[in-house]
Amino acid sequence: MSAVRFAGVSLRYSGAPADALGGITLDIASGSVSWLFGSLGAGCSSLLLVAAGLAPRHSGGTLAGQVTTLGENPHETAGRRALAGRVAYVMATPGVQLSGVAATVWDEAAFAPANLGWPIARIAAAVDAALGRLGIAHLAARHPAALSGGELQRVVIASMLVLAPELWLLDEPASALDRDGRRLLAELLRVEAARGAAVVVATEDADAMLELAQRVIVLDHGRVALDGPPANVLAGEAVWVHADESTTVAGLARAAGRLDSPPPPALRPPYPLTVSEGLARWR
Amino acid sequence: MFAVTGGIAVLAFLLPAPRGPVVLYAAVLALSLVVGEGRSALRAIRVCLPLWILLALLLGLSPGGERQWIGPLSLSRGGLAAALAQGARLGAVATVSLALFAGFDPSRFLDAVAERGWSFHAGYLLVATLQAVPRFRHRAAMILEAQRARGLRFRGSPLRRARALVPLTLPLVLGMLSEVDDRAMALETRGVDARVPRTSLRSPPDSLPDRIIRWAMPVLVLAALVWRLAG
Repeated sequence: MSAVRFAGVSLRYSGAPADALGGITLDIASGSVSWLFGSLGAGCSSLLLVAAGLAPRHSGGTLAGQVTTLGENPHETAGRRALAGRVAYVMATPGVQLSGVAATVWDEAAFAPANLGWPIARIAAAVDAALGRLGIAHLAARHPAALSGGELQRVVIASMLVLAPELWLLDEPASALDRDGRRLLAELLRVEAARGAAVVVATEDADAMLELAQRVIVLDHGRVALDGPPANVLAGEAVWVHADESTTVAGLARAAGRLDSPPPPALRPPYPLTVSEGLARWR
Repeated sequence: MFAVTGGIAVLAFLLPAPRGPVVLYAAVLALSLVVGEGRSALRAIRVCLPLWILLALLLGLSPGGERQWIGPLSLSRGGLAAALAQGARLGAVATVSLALFAGFDPSRFLDAVAERGWSFHAGYLLVATLQAVPRFRHRAAMILEAQRARGLRFRGSPLRRARALVPLTLPLVLGMLSEVDDRAMALETRGVDARVPRTSLRSPPDSLPDRIIRWAMPVLVLAALVWRLAG
């Protein structure tokens, strides 16, 4: 089932000389992890904002084409109301996502369900479960302002998890997380997708997403340049043309291959993506 | 606490000067000590002290009227009385405002707003404004440190200092504006626009003394108003 559908979607921010998104046509399926990949300014964040119905309303600009999120139009008032609590949106900067009015982490996580009028018993159960899953139950009584960046990001994610959203839109969600946090997040998103939620992650962390995502959508100047399983897309040369990035091992193999002309067969595309693939190739 | 703060602010200007504001300020000081808000009273004095001195000089040095020698200065008694009244008003309002700020629990306030079915948006706006002050201060300190590390100096002539304010205020204001946009988006995804009554996370206690004070303050203000109008 399609969770998000873009049909010929273009977005131009006010005063911008070019489209941030140009004629995007995509279907994002429920129950899967999709990964938006691209260089700075490729349009990954814009695509998430448009799917959430936040751009161009908050940013200014014009939108063309049709966006359908969980069967609703997020760019109309009725659609936005119908989507309240069903879409989780996580930004790279956790500090600005806090409510600013909660005195404890528990209250912060309870902010959204309280706004949605959930019964208190349901809120309490969901908050306790979410804090536990993010490994921050011990921080429940702490003031959010007293937390580190990584702890804050976990709080922000927990604050979305309480809603059991049908769609996750995450923009560089691991930017403030340490290694344990990133591992925890990957596992959480895997479980969320298995639960049936659609997960869309915009990140440059190819190593992390290689294992997690079922699909990578490479954006280049606001257009879909490549689309397919990460193992196929990342191993090719085209991803370097459009995103100038792949996994660490692929990058090493490609760089090493450039030392010789022509490159030796083991260092030609498709590039190995992981250490084990590289070892198998070069052994 | 809002009722007390609002009531004191109105009473400070309703009661006849200079005795009324002075007695009110004395009462506020005594009350702040009784309820353990002595620190707020001290902070208010620190904030008001330069203004008190300024008021005393400005109004005291005004020409005419009966004069009183204080050290080398010949000050107007009427001016000093006016300065005393204004200073006491300022002190009373500053003390209760700082006590309100110090003891304010945003979650509890929003719970009270939810329980009474008042507008969540108005409540949120008030809380976010109060909470913005420490954030603003923190960000200003960060920008100050960053600009200092980049070689900006804040010493020298007034003109030089004024020029140094530009690289301080510009990132501060632009940063806050950008944060407002991001925060608005984040709040929207967290259901603040939902057209349902917000759930109160825990019922805020509303004791008998709380209720008495809440009703007594408007009554006091009204009584003072009637007294002043009748007098």
